[in-house]
Amino acid sequence: MRPNDNDLDEEIRGHLAINIQQRIERGEKPEAARLAALREFGYMPQLRDEMRRVWYGRWFDLGAALAQDMRVGLRSLMRAKGMAATVVITLALGIGANAAIFSVVRGVLMRPLVNRDEARLVYLRQSATGLGSENVTFSVPEIKDIRAEATTIEAFGEFSTVEFTLVGLGDPRVIQAGVVDGHYFDVMGLRPVIGRLVEPSDEGLNAAGVAVLTNRFWQNSLNSDPSVVGKTIQLGARSATVIGVLEPSIPYPADTEIIANMVTSPHHMGATMVTLRTHRMTQLFGRLKPGATIEAARAEMTALHASIVSQHPDSYPPRSDMRLSVTALRDQIAAPARPVLLVLLVAAAVVFIIACSNVANLILARSVRREGELAVRAALGASRGALRRTLLAESLVLCGAGAILGVLLARPLVAIVARFAARFSVRALEVSVDSTLLWVGAALAMAAAVLLAYVPRLPSGHAPTGSSLAPNSLRITPGTNRRLRVFATTQIAFCFVMLAGAATLLATLIALQTANTGYNMRQVLAIDVPMPTLGLGTDQSLSFYEEVTRKVGELPGVAGVSLGNFTPWRDSGRFGGAAGVGFGADGYTPANGEEHPRARLRIVAPNFFNVLGVLMLAGRDFTADDRRGNESVVIVSQSVAQRIFPNGDALNHKLWWIDPYFGPKPFPRRIVGVVADVDDENIMKGAAMTVYHPLQQMGVAGRLFVHASGDPYALVPAVTRIIQRMSANQPVERAATLEDVRAEVLAPERLNAFVFTGFAGIALLIAVVGVAGVLAFGVSARTREFGVRLAIGSTPFDLMKSVLSEGVVIVSVGIIAGAAFGYLFAGLASSYFETMRMPGLTSLLGAAAVLIAAAILASLMPAARASRIDVLQALRSE
Amino acid sequence: MAKTPDPERLELLQGTLDMLILRTLQWGSQHGHGIGQAIASQSDDLLKVETGSLYPALHRLEKKGWLKSEWGISEANHKAKYYQLTAAGKAQLSRQRDKWAQLVDVIGKIMNPAAATED
Repeated sequence: MRPNDNDLDEEIRGHLAINIQQRIERGEKPEAARLAALREFGYMPQLRDEMRRVWYGRWFDLGAALAQDMRVGLRSLMRAKGMAATVVITLALGIGANAAIFSVVRGVLMRPLVNRDEARLVYLRQSATGLGSENVTFSVPEIKDIRAEATTIEAFGEFSTVEFTLVGLGDPRVIQAGVVDGHYFDVMGLRPVIGRLVEPSDEGLNAAGVAVLTNRFWQNSLNSDPSVVGKTIQLGARSATVIGVLEPSIPYPADTEIIANMVTSPHHMGATMVTLRTHRMTQLFGRLKPGATIEAARAEMTALHASIVSQHPDSYPPRSDMRLSVTALRDQIAAPARPVLLVLLVAAAVVFIIACSNVANLILARSVRREGELAVRAALGASRGALRRTLLAESLVLCGAGAILGVLLARPLVAIVARFAARFSVRALEVSVDSTLLWVGAALAMAAAVLLAYVPRLPSGHAPTGSSLAPNSLRITPGTNRRLRVFATTQIAFCFVMLAGAATLLATLIALQTANTGYNMRQVLAIDVPMPTLGLGTDQSLSFYEEVTRKVGELPGVAGVSLGNFTPWRDSGRFGGAAGVGFGADGYTPANGEEHPRARLRIVAPNFFNVLGVLMLAGRDFTADDRRGNESVVIVSQSVAQRIFPNGDALNHKLWWIDPYFGPKPFPRRIVGVVADVDDENIMKGAAMTVYHPLQQMGVAGRLFVHASGDPYALVPAVTRIIQRMSANQPVERAATLEDVRAEVLAPERLNAFVFTGFAGIALLIAVVGVAGVLAFGVSARTREFGVRLAIGSTPFDLMKSVLSEGVVIVSVGIIAGAAFGYLFAGLASSYFETMRMPGLTSLLGAAAVLIAAAILASLMPAARASRIDVLQALRSE
Repeated sequence: MAKTPDPERLELLQGTLDMLILRTLQWGSQHGHGIGQAIASQSDDLLKVETGSLYPALHRLEKKGWLKSEWGISEANHKAKYYQLTAAGKAQLSRQRDKWAQLVDVIGKIMNPAAATED
């Protein structure tokens, strides 16, 4: 019964046909009759809408009208394919980048964890900002105090990261593992997929060793073999039974393969661990009481910590400024990725703004060309609303297409960005493509469409329309021209900010990669040959390492071999870490109120400095005679020598550690040598105070260094063979040159620079297209003016120059605006991100140079076109 | 153009267009163009119904069930939609006619009291 659009059209057509017929019968000429009938009829689309509105609801009607307009829009866009394609691709880049990054941001920062009641999980963190450490973890006595007093947190779980040499599941190797108390899994709200997890009955000195496998390890290395439960494995010195497999969960605080009970780690059962308040190596998780808020827990824990500090002042020196904080576990896990992701989000938003202003430009230019068409529609009685709807329909078609392409682009992008973010937070590992992508894409497309529909000016009903109705006329009003330039300048400004940012990151990266580290980077191979936990530091293990050194040294192509207890960069943060260990020295008294100096403690075998290329500045290297029973000696780094003995007489002074770990009485050791500073803890250069001990006196090694005369990696199989022939269960792992080790550590920086440069590249591309578009449009609109100028004596070269300089002016204004905006923005951002760096002058100049070069390139084509204008044709064109 | 009012023409009173359409169709079925022409010629071209009002009105009346429509062929061999009164439409017409007579009477009395007494 309801007429459809065809019926309505048919009825209107019938009406017109009859009218024309009658007019012709009255003697009018056919063409005149047709025009008169049309004129009498009024604005057809509007009438059809009104007829339809009788039958259908208002919203349905609006939708149908819009759909109709969209069909028309699609048809008219097909006639402007180049422009439409540019718009769609530009929008797709903007929408795709945003959708991908937002998906990752949501996945990492906002999604709940799989743990039961995850909203109640908290992480307790003890920081010592005075020592430059954000997380010093807890000691057993501290945990005892907290457990005894806490009322807002119903249960605590303890986790500490250890390394085990695992024998019994595949090849023997060193694995990252965790040891936990009996409440840990219950507090974390995690379940086993098979078997059981560590329980309170597994606690205590007399419990049997038990181990839980993490899901990833079970799936990847054991092919999800269920028969593994019940197997007995060797974890270092102790054996343990595999009791179950954990459900898939976030590997936090460490990516472990096995989680065992405390008894498997002899160290955790020792007196140092249990009684020493400053021996902190346990991470503490809590579950809030039902109804307790995290704020309440925070307040309680802060007060509790303050009272612990006042009861044990010597364990909490005021200078280290120790504090306790409570964060939701979810936030704690995501925290490291937050600044990076937010920066990326801002970068993506900037790309979107650039894309939108570029598209706005193209649409504006097109609408100027369409002014005639719009004027005709207005003249036929189309209301302003109807005209806006026509424009909206068209921009919806464009933005819809852009969104579809953008979402397609975003799908692979999500994986890339997630891999990038995984460097900062393990949560990114589980990010997958989901509906977020779609609705972000759709929302951005809608926003862009509405924005774009309001960019062109509508022909006003009152303005004289004569000129617009004239065929083939093309005039830019000063207003339109201004808008075009404003959009182009905006793009350049934002693009400049992006480029300057990217240039800063690249400059940092280049500086890092070319920095002098103090090591022989290319020729030195570092191999993990972990100490057998059994017989740690005994004469037997020491002679094993001596033997390894001797045999590897005999290999052809080996220039030198030594041992140490750390691999530069890779093992940073261990053995005192960045904060170091306090020490004293004879002839040095700390000024009043000043703390003891701190240095990194390292253990090296003879010849270490020679093999790694570290310069010996004074004194001697360790020798085979620096062993137990002989005099205890150390070698210090240049910074220690200069700070403690400014007169240059460090040699033969004594030095001792001040840390309860080394016993209550200072044990002085004589300084026999001074070596150059190396900084391999931080990526950025920092202080590098280090004290080296001879291996034979401290007895802990585990890292083999081989100076190769040829290709270092060619030596790896031979070295592995030698060691495993001596001890079949000895792991030999992670062989890499120092250069590659450092590259591994630099990877996040490199990725940062890479991703950001990618964004800047997209922005530059879009902005260049934008500037070229504006200039090209200006040239085609000014054909007549150029013709006149040529006619009165300008040379084509003059015209070319004027177009080129127009481009350069747009870019220069954009750069200045961008610099001003960027300066304000950087000031704002630096209050959020501590590591924010202001771009150097070179970066800024580099970015500006790239932009200006791009602008000239972009102006060349329109400029060339201006110079080729034919005078006669130009003058005849109107 | 369509929007400029012709000083000679009379503006249709609100609501009277429906009645005129129903009245015109009393003589038989007719297409939209014919209805418009009939109203114009019967008013000596003083009432000119715009297509913009006529067609929505036709569809409104059809939706109310006072008219029904079917496709037909016009005198000049064009496909056209023909409208026709339904029984409900006829009843409505007679109701409107009575109301109209009343209205004219009342307004006439107010506008022209002397003439009313002469009657």
